[in-house]
Amino acid sequence: MSGMQKTSVLRSIDRPTLIACGFILVILAAGTLYMLITQGTATFIEPTYLLQQLKIAAFLGIVAAGMMMVILLGHIDLSVPWTLAASAMLATAVGGPWAIPIGLAVGLVVGLFNGVGVAYLRVPSMIFTLGVNAVLRGLMVMLTGGFAPQSSATPIMKWFAAGQLIYLPVGDGFGLSNSVLVWALISAGIVFMLTRTSMGRYIYATGNREAATYLSGINTKFVLIFGFVMCSLCASLAGLLVAGYTSKAFQAMGDTYLLPAIAAVVVGGTNILGGQGKYTGTVVGTILIVLLQSLLSVMQMPEAGRQIIYGLVIIAMLLVYGRSNAMRT
Amino acid sequence: MTDQQGHLLALKGVSKRYGGVRALSGVDFACRNGSIHAVLGENGAGKSTLIKIISGVVQPDEGTITLDGKQVTIPTPQAANDAGIVCIFQELSLMPDLSVADNISITTPPRRFGMINRKAQRARAEELLARVGCDDINPLTLVKNLPLSRRQMVEIAKALGRNPKLLILDEATSALTSADVHKVYAILHGLRDQGLSLLYISHRMHEIEELADTCSVFRNGQHIDTFSKGDRNDEQIVQMMIGRELQNVYPPKPIRNAPPPATLEVRKIGWDTKLSDISFTVGKGEVIGLGGLDGQGQRELLLALFGVLRGVSGNIVLAGKTEHVNSPAQAKSPAVGMALIPEDRKTEGLMLPMGVGDNISMAALSSMTRGLVVDRAIESKKIAEMVAKLKIKFGQLSDPVATLSGGNQQKVVIAKWLLTGARVILLNDPTRGIDVGTKQEIYQLLRDLADAGTSIVLYSTDYDELIGCCDRVLIMYSGRIVRELDGPEITEANIIASSLNLALTGQAAAGGHA
Repeated sequence: MSGMQKTSVLRSIDRPTLIACGFILVILAAGTLYMLITQGTATFIEPTYLLQQLKIAAFLGIVAAGMMMVILLGHIDLSVPWTLAASAMLATAVGGPWAIPIGLAVGLVVGLFNGVGVAYLRVPSMIFTLGVNAVLRGLMVMLTGGFAPQSSATPIMKWFAAGQLIYLPVGDGFGLSNSVLVWALISAGIVFMLTRTSMGRYIYATGNREAATYLSGINTKFVLIFGFVMCSLCASLAGLLVAGYTSKAFQAMGDTYLLPAIAAVVVGGTNILGGQGKYTGTVVGTILIVLLQSLLSVMQMPEAGRQIIYGLVIIAMLLVYGRSNAMRT
Repeated sequence: MTDQQGHLLALKGVSKRYGGVRALSGVDFACRNGSIHAVLGENGAGKSTLIKIISGVVQPDEGTITLDGKQVTIPTPQAANDAGIVCIFQELSLMPDLSVADNISITTPPRRFGMINRKAQRARAEELLARVGCDDINPLTLVKNLPLSRRQMVEIAKALGRNPKLLILDEATSALTSADVHKVYAILHGLRDQGLSLLYISHRMHEIEELADTCSVFRNGQHIDTFSKGDRNDEQIVQMMIGRELQNVYPPKPIRNAPPPATLEVRKIGWDTKLSDISFTVGKGEVIGLGGLDGQGQRELLLALFGVLRGVSGNIVLAGKTEHVNSPAQAKSPAVGMALIPEDRKTEGLMLPMGVGDNISMAALSSMTRGLVVDRAIESKKIAEMVAKLKIKFGQLSDPVATLSGGNQQKVVIAKWLLTGARVILLNDPTRGIDVGTKQEIYQLLRDLADAGTSIVLYSTDYDELIGCCDRVLIMYSGRIVRELDGPEITEANIIASSLNLALTGQAAAGGHA
């Protein structure tokens, strides 16, 4: 078992992942250098800082994990921001022990709706999910417009997001936030699903060539719906965690997750057209995006400059992958 | 060969290769002014390549082209148009969302001050439509609102608008109603009398008899003969279209005294306008061929049986039980047990970037799982069995299947389906673009499978293959089975004659039934 696991891990480190890993080191080095020069401390490689980044990365990582399923299928889910927000808002509005089940149920329903729209109605996913995003937003405005529902997170949500099940009383104390554990658990589940189950194989096959997969007697509609449900469930889970972390749910809470999640998946080496990509890449891509965002804000660069550098880095990395692909074939 | 006098276009020693396939070799061909020249040949005889060279779509590897006595090259379709060579293709070239007038003047619209002069364009369209006897078509109608036969008339009007000297019609009458066909005949005869040269490609022998004054027969990329109409009868022409010796690459067929028990009974299958009233049975261990010209519904029939098409009427009976197959997933299920080797392995058969192993186990994966988890030990054992059985050659199992040769790719598709243990295998032209050696292996494999009790339905565009592999051959013509050829009746002459929907000649006709 462990031997097999090892080989599959080794195999899964493909070129884009390695490049992304290298880039993470570059970011850390640049950050450290900057801090040493300006403040004389190496904050960027201190464990507390890194743990803090990991905690932030967990939210984005869970969204990106779901997004990767949809991108592997050759589709996209633009309804993520408001799926995330709607789950959090409805969960906090209901409150009590039902908060988390309600939040996940929102994800399930949105995922099924997206999946049916794409698989059966054959609406291009980009348009369909964009529409769903707008509808969800309207519904949430209606919900909060008429009356002010409760929006503070329940204690369980807070515990999942910010509690520390693992705490090492060494030095200042190393606490690993529970949201990171949730991310790790989901990641393990997805790696298992993608590499060991028939569903994982069908997801890659459908993303590569839906017609050939369908003609192989595989229910591709079900595979598509499954992918969209996974994506929406991950988004709603992230919504619950973010609400727990910030103690409340608010309207625009999902807006900052959509493009970084897509960027994390693509920077991690998943083909935006579907069918190719390893999950490790998505994890590395998530960390890369989070560190890059952090570095840019630490350097106190003006917002415009941050956006430009952020965008350029993503484009540059994709160009590198594109070239390496072209050279191999 | 006729003399050089009065020739508008002459090709000398023209050859064209596609990869390892010789599409045309050393062809001499000429057509006169003021004549309708029919080009005949089987599928793959080289007719399309000839047309493509004349119209500038592809360039010949060798040989010269002479137009009006001057040697020319035709580098692009645009150059061909400028030289007065205009094609009307089988697949319509009209833009459905533009008006008839826009379409007719699409390449060279009349302009005024750099803008399209809509009034002049409309007048021009009216004039051209009147010339083809379709003054009832409003030039401002969108093409998509016209029925197919009218669109084909617009296509002809559009071609005339380019002032052709040489007009090429490639199956251009296939969609016309009989009333329009006669109009078109009159127009074409009129054009000939004006001194135009017309090249006419059709699989309909009756049309050729009515229209053409000269015929050329092609076979295997070679020009066989050119003769005036009436110099040869149908039988001689068919003989000329076949004309080659059969190679002995096929495994022997079993000798049966009684028909085998039926595995698959197809009852009155119909779909849209493409298939009507199709019934046949396939016995246990039988290889049934589907023949006929390209596009007579063979492909649709296989897809209908496999549950891909929506709204198929009729039903199928498998081993005495009526089954409703509405999706490939159902077709694959053990209760039905069908497999389809699709037409285009690159887009329908394989996930090209995925590994060889993943592709082989794709269809049968659900039988190799424990719970939801793939049992890798069983999977790799089954894959290894198939690789050995079909002698598939590759580097590593994880290599993308795209890196394999065409023949090995096709073997992967077949292996994928053999793993499901199907009892009926449908094959859509499985040997297209595959080298002879692999072809032979596939023929042997099909016969071995049949001997082991599998029922096989094989559609092939290669008549040799039907003759060599099949116990019975069903010939299709415009969505129907027009003839069933059994045992010794399966000859090339019979297949071609049936494909053209002609009566069988001589003794071979006995026993054949329409």
